[in-house]
Formats: sequence, C-alpha cells, structure tokens
Amino acid sequence: MRDVYVVGVGMTDYYRKSPIPGADLGRKAILYALRDAGITPQQVQSVYQGEMPGLSGSICFGQRVACTMGMGGVSIMNVESACSSGALAVNLAMKDVANGVTDISMAVGVQNISAARTAGTAFSPDANDPEGIQGITMPGIYAMRAKRYMHEFGATPEDLAKVAVKNRRHAMNNPRSQFHEPITVEQIVNARSISDPLTLLMSCPNVDAGAAVILTTKEKAMQLGSKLVKILASEVTSGIFTNGFRDMTSMEITVRGSKEAYEIAGVGPEDIDMVECHDAFAINEHLYTEAMGFCGHGEAVEFIRSGGNDYGGKVVFSPRGGLMSCGHPTGCTGAAQVVEATWQLRNEAGAMQIPDCKVALTHVTGGGIYGLDNAVCTIHILSR
Amino acid sequence: MTEKTEQVIFHPDFFKIPEDGSKPYLVESKCRGCGKLWFPKLPICPACLSETFDDTPMERVGKLYSYTVMYIPQPGLKAPLAIGYVDFSNGVRVGAQIDVLPEKIQIGMDLQVESGVIREDKTGKQTISYVFREVSEGGK
Repeated sequence: MRDVYVVGVGMTDYYRKSPIPGADLGRKAILYALRDAGITPQQVQSVYQGEMPGLSGSICFGQRVACTMGMGGVSIMNVESACSSGALAVNLAMKDVANGVTDISMAVGVQNISAARTAGTAFSPDANDPEGIQGITMPGIYAMRAKRYMHEFGATPEDLAKVAVKNRRHAMNNPRSQFHEPITVEQIVNARSISDPLTLLMSCPNVDAGAAVILTTKEKAMQLGSKLVKILASEVTSGIFTNGFRDMTSMEITVRGSKEAYEIAGVGPEDIDMVECHDAFAINEHLYTEAMGFCGHGEAVEFIRSGGNDYGGKVVFSPRGGLMSCGHPTGCTGAAQVVEATWQLRNEAGAMQIPDCKVALTHVTGGGIYGLDNAVCTIHILSR
Repeated sequence: MTEKTEQVIFHPDFFKIPEDGSKPYLVESKCRGCGKLWFPKLPICPACLSETFDDTPMERVGKLYSYTVMYIPQPGLKAPLAIGYVDFSNGVRVGAQIDVLPEKIQIGMDLQVESGVIREDKTGKQTISYVFREVSEGGK
C-alpha cells in the first residue's frame, strides 16, 4: 500500500437553490480542483462520482459530468450510499492510488437537491422498510435518539440549541455558507417543531453543492509543489443488523468506525484538532463527541456546555458551520468535508482557520434502514 | 357512498388480526437452525442463513424505549404523528405509530399492540397494521 496525499480540492458555494444544474455544480468543482492541483484532466486516471441516486436528475451522472471535462476514456464509476456517497468516492479514489492502480485519481460529490425534492418534506426510509411504512422519517429517528439521550443524561433543549448557536457562529466566518445571521438559544427552542424535541433550527437545511478531491502519491504531490496533506485513514463500514434492544444513545457504527480509523491512522482522539461530523441534527454533536472518544458516554452534556467542542476547546467541531449551518448537500457532503479539512491543514481556511491545525477527522453516516444504527459510516483522518 | 373502503393489511405473516374477534398480535419467528428470534419475519436467518422458522405469537404489551411526535411526517401522512420503539420481553424491539395523545406519552410506559390505519392513499385505500395504544383491561 502506498501513502496517499490530497493534491487538489475544489468546491462550489452552498446554495438553497442552485442557479445552475447539478451537472454544472460537478463541472465547477472539478475545474477548481484541477486548477488547485495544477494538472490537466488527461492526467486523471480514474474518477468516482458520489451522488444520492437520481436526485441530481441523471443516471450515469459521473460520466455526464467528467466526460465533458476532458476525462473521458478512463474508469468512471457512480457510487451511492445516501449521505456517505461523496465520502465513498474519496475512499475508492484513495484505494486506486494506494494499490498502485493509478497515480492520480479524483473523487467528486454533487447534489442538486432543490431540483428534485419538494421543500418542507423530510427524508425517510422507503415504504418497503417495516418502519418506513409506519411513517418514520430521518428527523424522527434522530428525535428518538435525542429524546432518549435527554431522558438518560439530563440534556435539555437548550443544550441542543447551544450546538446550533455555535455552528451558526462558525458559518458566519464561512464565505460559502448561505447562513450568516446569528441565531439565539431562544429563537432555536421556540422555532417550529419538526419532530419533538428537534425544531427547525436544530435541523440541517438541504442545500445544493459540488465538491472534488484529487489524490496522488507523495512523489507526485511533491513534484506538483503541493502543501502536503496525507490521508492517514479512509474507513468505510456498514451497520450490523439486529432487531433486539439497541442503545440509541451510543452510535454503534461510529463507535466502531472511529476506533478502526484511529487504529489505521495511528492516532487517537487526543491528536485530533478538528472534526467535520454528520451534524444533521442538533443532538448529533452530543452523540458523536462521545462515539469518537472525545469524552465518555453521557459526558457530552458537560463537554459541550464548557465549550470543549469549540475554538479554544479540546477539539473544534464543525469549523465551517457543519451541516447544521453550512447545509447538507447529502451526496456531496463527504467530499465537501475532505475539502474543508484540507484547507484547514494547509492553513488556507481564512476566518475559519483553527490555529496550528495538524490532524483533522471527517465523519459522515448515511441511510435509515430498519435494524441498523445507520446503513453506512465513512471516516477520513488527514494530517498535514 | 355505501361502498366499503378498500383496506390492505400490511404483512399478514407477522401481524395477525384473528377473525374470531380476539385481540391482534405480532408474531415472532424462531430460527430452527440457530434458535435466534426475529421480528419481523425474514426469509433467511441473518445469523445462520437457515430458511425455516417456528412462528409464535408475541406478548401484546411492552415498554416504550423512546418516541417522537413528528410535525413534518412523510408526505401523505397527517401531523402530528407519534411514533416510537417498544421493547418486548422476548428481547425484540418494534417501531410503530403510537395512538395516544402526545402529552400522555412517556418513556417507560406500557403500550400494547392493536390494529389501526397507518396510512391512506389519495384514492382512500387504507393500510392496516400494528399500532401501539395504552394498555386496556385484560390486555395481557
């Protein structure tokens, strides 16, 4: 296995409603990443396209995008596992370079949700799922986690709101975010209820975006004069089926996935400076600070109250504003997180910059499937 | 409109509504290969890949593990809609709609399996399945 480095990244803005079609979001992200790497499209030897299927309006979406960007004639694959799609693309591109199949590979994540879905509806498991037919939604699943967590550990709606306030404050430093107005705990707890105890302002907005990541070997990265950003771990795992009693306050797939990722990377939570996590709802940072080992089970209430997950704390969660305030372009998110982490590690994150950021972790899960904690969990650990 | 509303019973293989008027119940499936208990019934045992099961009625009452009241439910369903996970003594957790006033729902409360309309499509076709209600006399 060869070491793999990020040599080019590119990302569009995050739009509530994209002014351009989904394919163009992909093309722009690719263009920015190629420019960033200083390579031609003909140097890219394989492309993986992550997208939640059909939502961007095309089958063979990756070929539609990449072949019009000078990359026709190489292996191009479309990959899907809900919100993890873009992160899976990064994982596959990484494997090509690591295994010597290619010297340069590209991962793209794109989602143009606004073109495909009606505003004001909730993502849901499909009706073939025994819980899907009962009407469960993704916000509903996270709301049940929140309800149980609050019941067991004494977290309040204000504790959840505090995470949303922080992530909005972070998003205000992010020129790509569409959300630049500060919000207060009071506004958040009094906002319209989506799925009790989660309000609208405790839920991530769906947005449209494209992101691209180009990976290569250390030798090539040095030839190209890139600031070195190494992928220490690229972990993909799936849920374990059970219809027995599952502790909904302990995110099994993330506990297991992060443990494996730390082992591969040879680092621990104490080494991580920043995390982009799957903060689709305000309860998630409580669940994931614990699942990733930044504090013990049940200790996130105090950890977050004392600012342990903020600038100046133990680790900065969601420096770009996270899914909560930057937005969640589902199939794009996993790739977008790697782009943001790369900027932080290169010291190019502008007003969002975490001082002396050495190691970053990106985390995205995906898919509500009955019997599974989540369908998929993807974790990347990167270092400068 | 004297015509009877069209109704579909969702998964009659693991949710039974006896014709004699006795109470509806869920069915657990015990794998003949490894003895593991599953609900709802799967065609192949996830633990040992056996394809044969013994079906047994489950107890009708369990304890509410967690719940939510959805104000933005799936398209076509009416809000507010309560849904939750109920833990049964056989070790199985079941997720379903809760037909109880939202302010009366509490984690840890006993709920029992009943039948109810869980969705209705545009043509008025109803899907009947299991729902959770408060425990009535003789529920167990």
